[in-house]
Amino acid sequence: MFSFLKRKKQKNDRKIQELNNQNQTNKTLPNLIEKSLSKNLEVIKQKTGNSSDIVIRQLKICHNSKMKIAILYVKGMVDNQSVNDFVIESIINNQNLSEKLKPQDVLEVLTEDVVAVGGIKVVNDWEKLFTALMSGETITLIDGLSKGICASTQGGQRRSVQESTTNVSIRGSKEAFNESIETNTAMVRRIINNTDLWVESINIGKMTKTEVSIMYINGIAKNEIIEEVRKRLKGISIDGILESGYIEQLIEDQTNTTFPTIHHTERPDSVAGNLLEGKIAIFVNGTPFVLLVPALFIDFFQSVEDYYERFDISTAIRFLRTVIFLISLVGPAIYIAATTFHQEMIPTELAIIIAAQRESVPFPAFIEALIMEITFEILREASIRMPKAMGSTISIVGALVIGQAAIQAGIVSPGMVIVVSLTAIASFATPSYAVAITARLVRFIFMVGAATFGFYGIILVFILLIVHLCSLRSFGVPYMSPLAPFIREEAGDTIFRRPIWAYKKRPRLISGQNRVSQGENQKPQPPGTRVMKNTTNMEKGDQNES
Amino acid sequence: MNHKWILLFLIMTSTVFISGCWSQKELNELAIISAMAIDKNAEGKYVKTIQLVNPGNVAGGLQGGGSGQSPTVTVYSATGDSVLEAHFHATSKISRRLYHAHANLIVISEELAKEEGITDILDAFERDPEIRMTSRVVIAHHTKAGDLLKSLTAIDKIPAEKVNGTLQATERARGESMEVTLQDVITTLTSAGKETVISGFSLKGDIQQGKKIENIQQSELDTTLESDGLAIFKEGKLVDWYQGEMSRGVVWILDKIQQTDVIVDSEEQKNSLTYNVVRQNTKVSADTKNRLPVITVNVRAEGDIREVRSQIDLTDPYEILDIEKN
Repeated sequence: MFSFLKRKKQKNDRKIQELNNQNQTNKTLPNLIEKSLSKNLEVIKQKTGNSSDIVIRQLKICHNSKMKIAILYVKGMVDNQSVNDFVIESIINNQNLSEKLKPQDVLEVLTEDVVAVGGIKVVNDWEKLFTALMSGETITLIDGLSKGICASTQGGQRRSVQESTTNVSIRGSKEAFNESIETNTAMVRRIINNTDLWVESINIGKMTKTEVSIMYINGIAKNEIIEEVRKRLKGISIDGILESGYIEQLIEDQTNTTFPTIHHTERPDSVAGNLLEGKIAIFVNGTPFVLLVPALFIDFFQSVEDYYERFDISTAIRFLRTVIFLISLVGPAIYIAATTFHQEMIPTELAIIIAAQRESVPFPAFIEALIMEITFEILREASIRMPKAMGSTISIVGALVIGQAAIQAGIVSPGMVIVVSLTAIASFATPSYAVAITARLVRFIFMVGAATFGFYGIILVFILLIVHLCSLRSFGVPYMSPLAPFIREEAGDTIFRRPIWAYKKRPRLISGQNRVSQGENQKPQPPGTRVMKNTTNMEKGDQNES
Repeated sequence: MNHKWILLFLIMTSTVFISGCWSQKELNELAIISAMAIDKNAEGKYVKTIQLVNPGNVAGGLQGGGSGQSPTVTVYSATGDSVLEAHFHATSKISRRLYHAHANLIVISEELAKEEGITDILDAFERDPEIRMTSRVVIAHHTKAGDLLKSLTAIDKIPAEKVNGTLQATERARGESMEVTLQDVITTLTSAGKETVISGFSLKGDIQQGKKIENIQQSELDTTLESDGLAIFKEGKLVDWYQGEMSRGVVWILDKIQQTDVIVDSEEQKNSLTYNVVRQNTKVSADTKNRLPVITVNVRAEGDIREVRSQIDLTDPYEILDIEKN
């Protein structure tokens, strides 16, 4: 026993020693680039462990010169065409490079004349050089000069811009973000053509050094919130950021809640719309999901399409969504409460039908609901994780097992199947997946409340839920605003959607001082048809045009 | 801070337990009562008859199609010195908890209503929190109250539904009966100057035949339940039965006619024209003339001429005026 412990300890010690050795080798590396090219290349090889995907190409600057230069890049991270055409080929073919030039002159010629790539920078320390190399830039090292030229040749294979799969809409732009942060920020900038659209970038992750950008509109976004976002992002110290979910979990206000306090989207138009309201977008390289802060509870029930349709239709759809959310929250709970506590509330005929269905069911309604809910969750999870080719198997087995066999076997009643499937469909009809999952979890609490105290229990849980929601903050902004605290002029954009011409001001708690979002008299006031014929009157009547 | 949380926790938990009565009961562990009847037997004891729904036989189809094979309701009777005692005696015969909230019908026997009055009996119903104040009350006419629950009915699977439906239909179409709820009865019993009127219901045919499932397996039922007149009460006791035209008059004076038909005689011919009242408004005013009370009933009726059996020119406005005078 003891010897075992000892051995383990020895092992640990050895590990630590190894680590220290590694660190020492790291420390022995010089901070600055040296003059000798061969030494420099040696350093690079040592530092990268002679990785096979790093390409080192040595050239002479012209055919009769002895001066050597080296070109380095990482395979697959660069755009091959621009490396070949604008770096290697233009160095080989350039007439200005001659053997008489000193290394410093070569650098100047290369940066000013030869390398035909947009972004060029000169670095003299290893750390910057390696960051550039690893992010897909092409490095040029010149013999006899302790500097390197970084040419931005990032490229390689990325997924192309495709239609959104998670935020689907019928009307509106079809394109969705992809995994490349440059593409993503560019897509938003294409929508908001304004110099006030500011982007700040930092690298987060000790190992991954993932590029994270925050984007906001200067003058609309609140300075305190921008500062808070910066502060929280800078505070992150973690090995890797693989998805924006990491950032979300590391910077959210309240961790003891199932409700999301940071919104995420895949759609550029959604990001643009939120930026115009004064929100701040956080882009993370390598994921199509862009975070939006501060997020309000009602944001999760709105889709960009609401603003594209006319207001009456959007308002009706938002009402429907409220109903959908309530069903997905309390659907089975109401069924349990009504059938086990408040039979008098069910119409007589229905009560008899439900009683007949339950006649052969051996479980109480709560257990029955629990069985069905868990079965459904299993099916849902399976259909997501399974290979696509087997998807149809799941639907057949699921439909038969749940729909038919369970009823015929007398384990569940048909009424319960209807309630559970309605609830399931309702939870998928919520625009935000994040809040739909939350509703799914909270639903079980409601079911327990209903099974112990009936409707009284549902109301108790509901009160707790409201209290909890009101206690949440997202970057200092009350989660339930503008409903609680109630802000009259903004309540028109909650479960209602007022007409576009009535949006006079930006949200008070989110945007900064500059709150007027549109001019006066935006309501269309077209002149009557009789006046239209008279051109002079038309100009007077149509205020939008003048 | 800690105190605050403990206090909050105590307040929250106390709200759970001070909520008053609640009880969990599965729907399939309940005996759903559809109707109740009160009789008095020869020994002077109350007989309470309850009609229980057999859910499986009503809903049918799903659980193996049991409907048609066995009756949709089961009837139990029990006796006792009080209504409540009779009720508790009944529980010894039934495997499930008796559930009153869906009882839509209360039948009171004619004899009981005549001899003893209904005031005391209804007290038991009114005090029970489970019994609905909207359940209908009828008086069994020429039959025992319990028998009215025992007969099976055809279109409405539950006999209680059939009785309620018939009351509603005759009130709407002819105005010869009235839907009277427990609430109405108790209000009229307790308020001065108002007397209770309750619809009567009778059993036509043999009760032994009506109990059997064969009764409803034929196109013309041997035993049926029929709406039958109005029972007029005075101070809680049944004093008279009004039938046909008389009962319609009662309903009319109470301003509860929704639709009815009036047959008008012309000078030449009897029953020459049928007039269908679709809207009416009745005002009753009382006055004294020469120290005699005079009650004026003012009826404004609106309707269609639906059947004409004599030679009348309906396009002639004077003829219409003549008809209106008749």
